Amino acid sequence: MVNSSTSALGIIFPNSYDALVPELVNVRLMASIPFASRYRLIDFVLSSMAHCDINNVSVMVNNNYHSLMDHLDSGREWDLVRKNGGLTIFPPFAEKESKPYVGRVEALAGILENLRDQKEKYVVMSDTNLAVNFDFRAMIDAHIASGADVTVAYNEQELPESLLKSQSNDKGFYYTFDINDGRITKIYVNDKEPGIQNFSMNIYVVERELLIDMVNTAFVRGQQFFERDVLLAQLNKLNVQAYKYDGYVARISGMKSYFDENMKLLDDHNLDALFSGAPIYTKIRDDNPTRYIEGARVQNVMAADGCVIEGEVENSVLFRGVKIAKGAKVKNCVLMQGTVVEAGANVEYLITDKNVTITAGKEMRGTDTFPVYIAKFQTV
Amino acid sequence: MAKEMIAMLLAGGQGSRLYALTETLAKPAVPFGGKYRIIDFPLSNCVNSGIDTVGILTQYQPLVLNEYIGNGQPWDLDRLYGGVHVLPPYQKASGSDWYKGTANAIYQNISFIERYDPQYVIILSGDQICKQDYSDFLRFHKEKGAEFSVAVMEVPWEEASRFGLMVADETDRITEFQEKPKNPKSNLASMGIYIFNWDILKKYLEEDEANPESENDFGNNIIPNLLRDSRKMYAYRFNGYWKDVGTISSLWEANMEVLDPEKSGINLFDEDWKIYSRNSGMTGHKISAGAEVENSMLTDGCRIKGTVKHSILFSGVRVEKGAVVEDAVVMGGTVIKAGAVVKHCIVAENVTIGENAVVGAMPTEEEKGVATIGSGVTIGDNAKIGPKAMVNKNVEGGEEQW
Repeated sequence: MVNSSTSALGIIFPNSYDALVPELVNVRLMASIPFASRYRLIDFVLSSMAHCDINNVSVMVNNNYHSLMDHLDSGREWDLVRKNGGLTIFPPFAEKESKPYVGRVEALAGILENLRDQKEKYVVMSDTNLAVNFDFRAMIDAHIASGADVTVAYNEQELPESLLKSQSNDKGFYYTFDINDGRITKIYVNDKEPGIQNFSMNIYVVERELLIDMVNTAFVRGQQFFERDVLLAQLNKLNVQAYKYDGYVARISGMKSYFDENMKLLDDHNLDALFSGAPIYTKIRDDNPTRYIEGARVQNVMAADGCVIEGEVENSVLFRGVKIAKGAKVKNCVLMQGTVVEAGANVEYLITDKNVTITAGKEMRGTDTFPVYIAKFQTV
Repeated sequence: MAKEMIAMLLAGGQGSRLYALTETLAKPAVPFGGKYRIIDFPLSNCVNSGIDTVGILTQYQPLVLNEYIGNGQPWDLDRLYGGVHVLPPYQKASGSDWYKGTANAIYQNISFIERYDPQYVIILSGDQICKQDYSDFLRFHKEKGAEFSVAVMEVPWEEASRFGLMVADETDRITEFQEKPKNPKSNLASMGIYIFNWDILKKYLEEDEANPESENDFGNNIIPNLLRDSRKMYAYRFNGYWKDVGTISSLWEANMEVLDPEKSGINLFDEDWKIYSRNSGMTGHKISAGAEVENSMLTDGCRIKGTVKHSILFSGVRVEKGAVVEDAVVMGGTVIKAGAVVKHCIVAENVTIGENAVVGAMPTEEEKGVATIGSGVTIGDNAKIGPKAMVNKNVEGGEEQW
């Protein structure tokens, strides 16, 4: 495949938009946030790439990446253990003047030599704040057909409240487009426009040689952000095409949206929309199946393996190894791996991080608009 | 570099008493316990016991089994030196032979074993559900200075005559072997798991092969020959969970026992002794509003809109609205349509059970049985399958089969 004229390599930016979910990335990064009962966010983009013959994937980790390295390991679960290509994790280069990167340009500048050595004609780039079952092959085909220099995927949706409300730019940049006959004519940075927008998914297709040139030039000029400093500045010179994505998009843009996007998957239509394509791979934990004990009452629940349910659960997403004891009531909750709800506890609108224990008889309630988050390893 | 002990896993059995379940599947590949296949148990026991070299002897319908084992990675048995190897009968310069018996299967693979120059060889069986620490068994074998040891279970005296029995003295030394005797002198049943010193095993395999009268079977030939020569033979008592799942009813029973680990002792929820398997890769299971799930086990990909009681559902099983599943083992990918009633039965993989169809029934005084539906079968709408039925062909809508 490497010699084919349409072959592509993948570059993933696992720390993008970390700042939007500060609690969840306290001990991890965007890419390793647990999602949809048994996955991590990066599983979606990585599996999608693997299914589209993108077998040479670089993950540009920046900080808090131990959990991600543990999760990805050699890349075997995504069929990315290869003699040629495969999965490569690039940590920040440890030299005296090196530090975590700020924007995509810096990150790419750090691997330019490596990029030059590759054989694939195209590069696809993606963040990990989206859970999508994405057909990169179709996007590459569209890129080739349009003759674009760069193609960007977007979907039509309203900007999330967390972004509209944000007063400063310190949570990172997001982009919306004006599009004329497929070509992007204007890029807005951190726009506050209400209503449906052409919202960038930050998924790019570009020829490898061109990307190297762009990054080289930008880096020499001290520029940091690929979108703001490279694309936006040269919209009149570069043919930047927009690629509309109509598939299911779960976009994590804050704690509330994290909760909502998990909950949305309790609707079979959404669940099928996200998972009916190619399978999404994840790290295997070899849990036993989930056990529902006599007396369990379960309504509208998605659960992974390894759980033991004896109490009542309603409208909730349970990750692996969650235990809900007899007489406990769980409603409208997202309970991550290893959460224990002891006997008689009664909880509603909760997001528990890994290995949280809610002790016997405790009552805790968040609200629909403000779910309560409990950090990793806490006992309540 | 020599290995202390390697394992040879006998997985060639046809499993003819599992009928519809093993028509296109070797017995060790039969699904068990929601997400496992029978062979996951001996393989996981091996790796958990520190055995990193396993030869799997296959013969009957090996396709599914071969693909399932693959490179052995799910069991951590993909090793540079050793690991898991599937060993079908093969052609030699002087002709080829099917495996004539359990002993002959090992005999034909002597050269495989010699590559690892082991001190001990453990012979395992691919049709049992058992969590066992083989390293403890080996410790016993060494302590006794044995040349051959067999793992045995105490069984109730009234059932003893169904088993191969080891008569042992107070030091656990075996003095006699009785194969399904009318008058049992012992209640120590052989589990079909043996540890041999390799030099002894090789000698007896070669001797056995030279005898044209022999059935080339461990139980009928090798063990009696060892006894004849007064070899140092010991019985290792195992008292954990062990079940031969060679029949429909025992397979059904063992699955049901998984639902009741406190009583049955088969605990799959053991962090220190995980059972590994090849993963389905499906998304988490989903129980809809209006569904009822109690005293059951579900795994990835299940979608439940109906009622599931005291049952084990494998990956990707769908139970539609109004359907009732009770006391059932339902294997991967099967769809149970609206209003269907599925009780006290085993339904194999990728079966479709039509709307309002009835499969099996709870046992009554007059009629007991575990209805069995073979893989890929379609049961038409409103069809009725009796509690003793063994179905391996499609059943048209409205038809009855008993």
